Amino acid sequence: MTNKYPLNTRQVCFFIIAFLPITKIFSLPSLIANISREDMWLSILISLVLDFITLIPIIIACKNARKGFIELLEDTVGKKISKLILFLYLIYFIFKAIIPINEQKDYVDYTLYTLRPSYAYFLPFFVLAFYICFKRLQVLGRISDILWIVSINGLITLFVLSISNADFSAILPIGASGISKILSGTYNALSWFGDSVFIMFFIGEFKFEKRSTIKILLSFLLGALFVLLFMIIFYSIFTSIAFRQRFALTEISKYTTVISNLGRFDYIGIIMVLFSNVFALCLPMYFCSKIIDHLFNIKKQWISPTISVCIQLIIMLTLSEYFVSVQNFIINYVGVYFIFLANVLPIIISLLSLKEKTYEIEKG
Amino acid sequence: MQLYNSLSKNQQILKQKLTSDDITFLELKIGDLNALLIFVNDLVNKDMLGQLILRPATSIKGNPDSDRLFDVFLNPEKSKVSTIEKTIEDIMMGNALLLIDNFNFALSFGLKHFEKRAITEPPTSTVIKGPREGFVESLPVNISMMRRKLKSPDLIFENLSIGRYSATPIALCYINGIADKKLVKQIKSKLQNIDIDAVLDSSYISKFICEHKFSLFKQVGNTEKPDILAGKILEGRIAIFVDGSPIALTVPYLLIEDFQSASDYYNSSYSATLARYIRIISVTLALFLPALFVSAELFHLQLIPLSFLLTIVNSIKGIPLSPSYEMFFTLLIFEILNEASVRMPKYVGMVVSIVGGLVLGETAVNAGIISAPTLMIVALSGICLYTVPELEQTFSILRILFLLIGGTMGLYAILMSVAFLTVYLVSFENYQTPILAPFSPLIKSDMKDGIYKGFIHELDMRPQSINNLNKRRIKKVK
Repeated sequence: MTNKYPLNTRQVCFFIIAFLPITKIFSLPSLIANISREDMWLSILISLVLDFITLIPIIIACKNARKGFIELLEDTVGKKISKLILFLYLIYFIFKAIIPINEQKDYVDYTLYTLRPSYAYFLPFFVLAFYICFKRLQVLGRISDILWIVSINGLITLFVLSISNADFSAILPIGASGISKILSGTYNALSWFGDSVFIMFFIGEFKFEKRSTIKILLSFLLGALFVLLFMIIFYSIFTSIAFRQRFALTEISKYTTVISNLGRFDYIGIIMVLFSNVFALCLPMYFCSKIIDHLFNIKKQWISPTISVCIQLIIMLTLSEYFVSVQNFIINYVGVYFIFLANVLPIIISLLSLKEKTYEIEKG
Repeated sequence: MQLYNSLSKNQQILKQKLTSDDITFLELKIGDLNALLIFVNDLVNKDMLGQLILRPATSIKGNPDSDRLFDVFLNPEKSKVSTIEKTIEDIMMGNALLLIDNFNFALSFGLKHFEKRAITEPPTSTVIKGPREGFVESLPVNISMMRRKLKSPDLIFENLSIGRYSATPIALCYINGIADKKLVKQIKSKLQNIDIDAVLDSSYISKFICEHKFSLFKQVGNTEKPDILAGKILEGRIAIFVDGSPIALTVPYLLIEDFQSASDYYNSSYSATLARYIRIISVTLALFLPALFVSAELFHLQLIPLSFLLTIVNSIKGIPLSPSYEMFFTLLIFEILNEASVRMPKYVGMVVSIVGGLVLGETAVNAGIISAPTLMIVALSGICLYTVPELEQTFSILRILFLLIGGTMGLYAILMSVAFLTVYLVSFENYQTPILAPFSPLIKSDMKDGIYKGFIHELDMRPQSINNLNKRRIKKVK
């Protein structure tokens, strides 16, 4: 059972399948429905295409990598610039975690409890996040072995329960909202996307096998398909009032006839998705702690997870009441940096690392 | 300390060390030499002693030399012992020791004889179809049962003795060419390092060979059936027998083992797969049902269907305890009844079940102390847990923990606890074997004997979850 690499291709694929769709189905659908209405799925499609384009050079870099991402970065751009880039990613991961964590907290507060609970109810999440950050990457890989099936089953349960209420003509005619609204929707959705960055941090952490490229790309397409399907079904059910359904996950399947007979049967699917989402939220914190370890040369295993988790905890405790303002700030002012760090920089780094490799080969 | 040439000197030392009244020192003559036969009265077969030792010994004339003397005795289990310590150890093990004047060694004869339980079907794993024999407390009998199952010279038994006072014989059992040699060495060294007063049962040993001493989860498998054990060691596991215990230990252990039953392999694959699904669903219900019911009552009423909610509301009307306390105390009473019924004499135990289960339960509901749904959920949870009896202890504790968490913080806290448990279990390894394999890490080939039970011809490879040397178990048919 011993392996040189902490992950394998299968686990990377499961990561994508488990985490790509579920992080985008809480409050994002209603937010985008408010902007691009029946073309909300197009806005999401553009974001997914952007991520897909970013993923391709990353996979090529994975294929050629003999080192981990951080070492590769140091070899490619030098130690000083690599530290600067890592610092930028540290900030990126901090910002990337804020919206989903608060989104989940609000979701739990409003939909899982009859009366709004205190902060204490959400605090165990941070303990869990610390525990996960404390563990090795191998453990994350093993978690994905279980979670992909949980995520897919959860989503399929929701789809099966909701699809009968959908009127797919609601998304027609395609492109009716206009290109500016569609692009505006894409821009607003940026904080929820950029998952290719996670794969970039897996460079050198898994053995690239013969069909790894195709497996990873297909996993991404499967995850993307689930996201699009969810968006389409969501808008097809609620049409013009879609933007009012703040937590699409709970709303999408509640009109099914099974529910009137059996109670909120759909909660089985919801809880499965919520369960996977708990782990997905820990990913940015996990990478934060790895970057902190490297930047500040921390040897003790518990320090960086503590810092990484405490940052998010402090943000949540201080800014939770102003979540909408925080969300608007991130969407309006940090969005451009998100494109740069989640799409542009990974492409540049991946291509540079390839160039570096060619140079090494030429040098013999 | 070496034995002396002088019998009187040896006799003096041994008499000082062996003062118990059940030890016999029998003085006799072998030819012209004085001799001393020492044995524990109730451990030695006296007929055999007379036939195989005393009769040949007294028939010797003159001064026998050591080689001739050794050949005179017909007992097949005989050896030469040259130290005082080994002499004492052999006597305590039930051997008869013969010391002769002018000889600086003793002859040790294996003539053990003591009462043992008959081979019966173990109460912990009964089957409708399949072998019904179970291990007993005698190590030689257990070894012979394994030999009967696997008649191969590759089936190896390595003998050890553990316990300062008990000197309990222990046998390490594995198949040469299948079991990982490194693992055998590792376990042997762990066993040799155990320094304890006595080993009274195999569970003593299991605590010492665990890698996570304080974990709530089992790390060593166990079985009372030779057929199950044969199956396990054929997969590359190592078994440990302890004299005095009918339970054999196996390492490495996987959590899925306890969801697999012997009958799964003797019935059709379809029914075995269904049975495994039922076990998993039952354990899940047993673990979470009380916690989910209480958290739904307290925090998430919207999760309960309206008609069911009305029934619950009617039944909890006037109950003085809060849902969490009510469930907790009912569960506590269930655990008390469970403990009492196991400990009490058989016939009294039946009375306890009737009084506890029927009278106490029904009266409590009629008196309005607890509600009928709570009682029903505790009963269902209790029954469900016994579909996997091996995990009953661990899951009983977890059930109470989940109940406390769900009752104080609701569904999200239960979800968090499950997430914690998941992270804990996926990172949990014992002897380099992940306990959640073949699910995490996912090992495709081993899934044929996971929740789904494949047909016998499909199980052509040994499990990859366990380190083993020879991977194939069914020859490939071209």
